[in-house]
Amino acid sequence: MGLTSDGAIANPRVLQAQDAGTIALPRVGAGERAAVQSGVVTTTIEQVIQWGRYSSLWPALFGLACCAIEMMAVGASRYDMARFGAEVFRASPRQADVMIVAGRVSQKMAPVLRQIYDQMPEPKWVISMGACASSGGMFNNYAIVQGVDKVVPVDIYLPGCPPRPEGLLDAVIKLQKKIAGERPGSLRG
Amino acid sequence: MTVLPPLEPPPQKDLASEQYERGREMLGVESGLDSVDLVQLDDSTMELNMGPQHPSTHGVLRLVLELDGEVVKKCKPDVGFLHTGFEKDFERHNYQQCIPYTDRMDYLSPLFNNLGFSLAVEKLLGIEVPLRAQYIRVLMCELTRIASHLLWYGTSALDLGATSPFIYAWRDREKLLDINELVSGVRMHTSFIRVGGLLADVPDEFYNMVNEFVLTFPRLIDQHEMLITKNPIWRERTVGLGPITVDDAMNYGATGPILRACGIPYDLRKAHPYSSYDHFDFDIPIARNGDVYDRYLVRMQEMRESVKIVKQALDNMPDGPVNTTDRRVALPPRNEINTSMESLIHHFKLVTEGMRPPIGQVYQAVESPRGELGFYIVSDGSNRPYRCKVRAPSFSNLSSLPHMVKGELIADVVAVIGSIDIILGDVDR
Amino acid sequence: MTGPVAPSAATRPVSGSRAADLIARELPGLILRRAVAYGEETVWIPRERLVEVCRLLRDHRDGRYTVPQFVTAVDWPDREPEEPRFDIVYQLRSLEFNDWCRLIVQVTEDDPSVPTLERVFAGMDWLERETYDLLGIIFTGHHDLKRILMPADWEGHPLRKDYVSFGEPVAFTHNLDWALPALERPPELTGESR
Repeated sequence: MGLTSDGAIANPRVLQAQDAGTIALPRVGAGERAAVQSGVVTTTIEQVIQWGRYSSLWPALFGLACCAIEMMAVGASRYDMARFGAEVFRASPRQADVMIVAGRVSQKMAPVLRQIYDQMPEPKWVISMGACASSGGMFNNYAIVQGVDKVVPVDIYLPGCPPRPEGLLDAVIKLQKKIAGERPGSLRG
Repeated sequence: MTVLPPLEPPPQKDLASEQYERGREMLGVESGLDSVDLVQLDDSTMELNMGPQHPSTHGVLRLVLELDGEVVKKCKPDVGFLHTGFEKDFERHNYQQCIPYTDRMDYLSPLFNNLGFSLAVEKLLGIEVPLRAQYIRVLMCELTRIASHLLWYGTSALDLGATSPFIYAWRDREKLLDINELVSGVRMHTSFIRVGGLLADVPDEFYNMVNEFVLTFPRLIDQHEMLITKNPIWRERTVGLGPITVDDAMNYGATGPILRACGIPYDLRKAHPYSSYDHFDFDIPIARNGDVYDRYLVRMQEMRESVKIVKQALDNMPDGPVNTTDRRVALPPRNEINTSMESLIHHFKLVTEGMRPPIGQVYQAVESPRGELGFYIVSDGSNRPYRCKVRAPSFSNLSSLPHMVKGELIADVVAVIGSIDIILGDVDR
Repeated sequence: MTGPVAPSAATRPVSGSRAADLIARELPGLILRRAVAYGEETVWIPRERLVEVCRLLRDHRDGRYTVPQFVTAVDWPDREPEEPRFDIVYQLRSLEFNDWCRLIVQVTEDDPSVPTLERVFAGMDWLERETYDLLGIIFTGHHDLKRILMPADWEGHPLRKDYVSFGEPVAFTHNLDWALPALERPPELTGESR
């Protein structure tokens, strides 16, 4: 069945092909079982710090237009962002980690956007939600900044007009994976 | 042993109105046109910026408040942080391409924008949409009105500190977004109402979904009302707050629930019925005082009336096509394209260039959840609007904000903004 | 199943005729032109008498046009010099008589100014600022005519026909020779987006 002697799955792809109709849960290996029983887990400080950072991302309230409505939907009960630790929308950027730019950024709003970004303390990330924030969207005209990355550095681009709430959850999860892969001091200097 | 006299209960007074009276007295302001009646600046006031990024301004609205302690003496809104240049974009796209743009203006009730634009172009072309399409338009628009009012209810309660209504409102709004997704594939911004009819006919599951919604929703509105209507905290925070008289409201151009809360039963659906609204039997809720609480009551009752309309539309839905057969707008049928060269060319021109309304100017207004949403279209005979001006209800409603908050406390400014129900996409276009 | 037939637009009264008749009655000889189309009547009036006409429409007991709907301008740059360039369009609504009317004032490019109506209707304050901002129409007598939608230091009036609006050209593989991303674009190459 593709399981090695200590219970771990040898080749997950082989498992999928052979057991298409059954779900085989990966069995916990002997090493992990021993660790849990003794109450001691070994890891690196970087992993722990990054785990702490991505598990409780506090978004700064930056809902501008229609995407803000879908961001509110993600915070509401059906698509619950609290499951991912990100439901605490902080109004003050001084207390926020991630800025979800949700909506179209007009010429008058761009300096405000930069100021709010500058007021956020490190480490900080930016999710550009929606087509208008990522690239100007359907508004290729004098009034809209063609992409928020002309003003702030962006980590995750999320297309859609507006993106589905599941899309925003996917963006948050991808950001979490990205943060997990970063080193804690990498954003300094 | 001294016997203390029994404690008297504190005198019942309406704190909100007392502070309001004191504030007005301090300013020496009587109700007038405040855009001309300027208060002198003196050293005892502080200027506070309630900036574009603020949790309670319902979008990117900036208010510059001149405060004396906590009382607002003057309020100058600074709008334009969401100006998107819609009207310039309308001039660059043909009429069919303008429809998705209209969705994004008043982004909380997108179908009303679609409807207003489509009705204006249909007025220019002189075409009458089939009755089934009109009924479905009414039905979807009233569902959108309920969705918009639910979100307004959730967010204005959240502004004043009540977090449960927000979750309750979203629970019900998600059902309406599911219906949107069923008919068009998109939750918001459906672009469902097009010039000449609809995007497509509704699928069969539509009737069951809407029927289920109609049967369950009135009880859910009761639940929402149970949370805050008689709640003493809510009443104390909103009764007597930010009132506006009928004359001032009309003078500022404020329409919609603001005018209806002042006591005028004016609703465009009854006054200038469009899209067969005169087939439906519904009431116009009004209130007397024109303050924040009355606007809240008017909107809650409007939700109930909308459910009534939806039920009537569902029960009496006629059969038939959902798009007009007028050849200036509608594509020729497929069998004709295969046989007739002219039909093929006509099809090609309609798809690539779009419809060409005659030269002229029209204005068509619809009753959106915020008030009178109007489209003034000037056509020069080409396939693009020469000028399309959008009469935005939130713009005029917001211009009455300085008048409403003069003399209020700064914490009450948040409640007043919530009660006007502005959408910055509509204000700034 | 068939329901009652919806009343077509032809059976509704013409919007704005009440206002036009009122002006013709009370201020004879003032109306420059009247036209009815698509069930709506439009009245052209001279610029100097605008405030007088609006006060009449607002206060007269047969008018009561108390709600300002909007003010805007339509730019016809090719009409000069035969006809003025801008059509300033006003619309007012009467709740009592369930009617709305449209007034048009024509101004030229060299002198695009109209007297302000903010003392007649308080809502005209912001509406006039918006028209000034986007189209450059000067409303004389306005207490504070400054930009409302664009940033305060913006140059130009976006909704005029000679204002070219584009964000940036979208670069595909077939137009890469001229539609470069903004940072790589040489200054003399502007590029239209549509």
